[in-house]
Amino acid sequence: MPFRELNSKMVEAQVIPGQKMFSQRGAMLAYRGEVSFTPSLTGGQGGVMGMIGRRVANEQTPLMSVEGSGTVMFGHGGHHIQVINLTGETLYVEADRLLAFDGTLQQGTMFMGSQGGVMGMVRGQVTGQGLFTTTLKGHGSVAVMAHGGVIELPITPNRPIHVDPQAYVAHHGDVRNKLSTALGWRDMVGRGSGEAFQLELSGQGAVYVQASEEKL
Amino acid sequence: MNFGPVTGGPGAPTVFDPHSLPSDDNVNAYTFCVELKGSQWFLQKGKMIAYYGRIDFNGVGNGRFDRLLRTSFHSPMHAADWVVAEGQGKMLLADRAFDVNSYDLDDGNLTIRSGNLLAYQPSLALKQSIVPGFLTLIGTGKFVAASNGPVVFMEPPLRVDPQALVGWADCPSPCHHYDHGYMSGVIGGLRSLTGIGGSSGEEHQFEFVGAGTVLLQSSEMLMAEQAIGTVGAGAEAAGVPGAGYGGGHGQQGPLGQLGVPRMPGQLGDIQRRLGL
Repeated sequence: MPFRELNSKMVEAQVIPGQKMFSQRGAMLAYRGEVSFTPSLTGGQGGVMGMIGRRVANEQTPLMSVEGSGTVMFGHGGHHIQVINLTGETLYVEADRLLAFDGTLQQGTMFMGSQGGVMGMVRGQVTGQGLFTTTLKGHGSVAVMAHGGVIELPITPNRPIHVDPQAYVAHHGDVRNKLSTALGWRDMVGRGSGEAFQLELSGQGAVYVQASEEKL
Repeated sequence: MNFGPVTGGPGAPTVFDPHSLPSDDNVNAYTFCVELKGSQWFLQKGKMIAYYGRIDFNGVGNGRFDRLLRTSFHSPMHAADWVVAEGQGKMLLADRAFDVNSYDLDDGNLTIRSGNLLAYQPSLALKQSIVPGFLTLIGTGKFVAASNGPVVFMEPPLRVDPQALVGWADCPSPCHHYDHGYMSGVIGGLRSLTGIGGSSGEEHQFEFVGAGTVLLQSSEMLMAEQAIGTVGAGAEAAGVPGAGYGGGHGQQGPLGQLGVPRMPGQLGDIQRRLGL
């Protein structure tokens, strides 16, 4: 079920019996009706193996499952929230940016190296994302947190887009990304522009960028 | 934007002067302008960011304000945090880059988190709420309050995370709600014994029922709450909520380990409360 945006920092979701949702622990602001919040032992889907996978990948995040019937308001730490509706494609996002998502979405982890090889791993280090990132696949909604407002930039086949790795929030669709460097002798002597690394995304999809270079 | 004053060209910031500043209205989402015409406003310390004109700021401990305090300030524990602004001019109020809004009460009541209240007209009476950490305003007049993001108004019945609560109006019985259902049963017993799985952080809410309005904001952890919600020494009698919690700073329960700060309104640890 889609999230309804109450304002830039709060979303509302309907909880229907039999439909599970996952949310970051402590992200519930208020609720109506009979809703229970259970800390998810395995931190999401996929059972124990999924948990181990996330632990190894350092992509585990304290999640809780939300069940029952009623309305729940989510928000966290005064961060801006972007709702992303997925229709079959895959969303790539850092686990700690996840505010809430539909239980129908398939959760997984992806090795950065599998997208762009060694450069993908370098990218993970530069962006502070680490070597792994979380993927969500299927039909449903995701609420993602960002510091500052979020803008959605479309990616079309012959128009690649360059993004500051620190401002990168998430992307979805059939997108290839690589880290492009503009390192010169100035950077070596500490007189760089501060924009030596950029994330180049190409393909078909969209990337979400926050109006801040601050991590969550 | 229809502020009207001098603009430095398209896209340039609006430049205000004493005449173009709004009177008792928002300058932008984060700043509120109060106009004083020989009148008085109560103001929380540190929330004034600029002023035009001749405005005096005096602590409420001042003897001259005895009569004023008798009618509109009934919160001796907070006296050190409030000043009276009086004179002629316009002053700008802001707080932590939060959204700032004014609210009009017409013979009404509203209870608000003490740290979120910036200023109020003396036609309102400020009282300490029974719920620690909150202040109640009663009467007719205007007050200015801050919130992290726009305030969302909700009708009861509703359960609210303590950190997300800004305040409430008219609700007769705010109370605590504990939800620890996942701690029962065999698996739950294992959970609470071993600590595996942690807590959801949502075991404790404030519950509102009956007629009224509840004000919510996105939860906030950026800045420590000011310790002006506690009941001070001398009031440590039985039956006074919050007594004995004075100076409870740095107190961390199990939720505190999860990064959830101990709120002034929060009771003891759930395990202790429920004998778990």
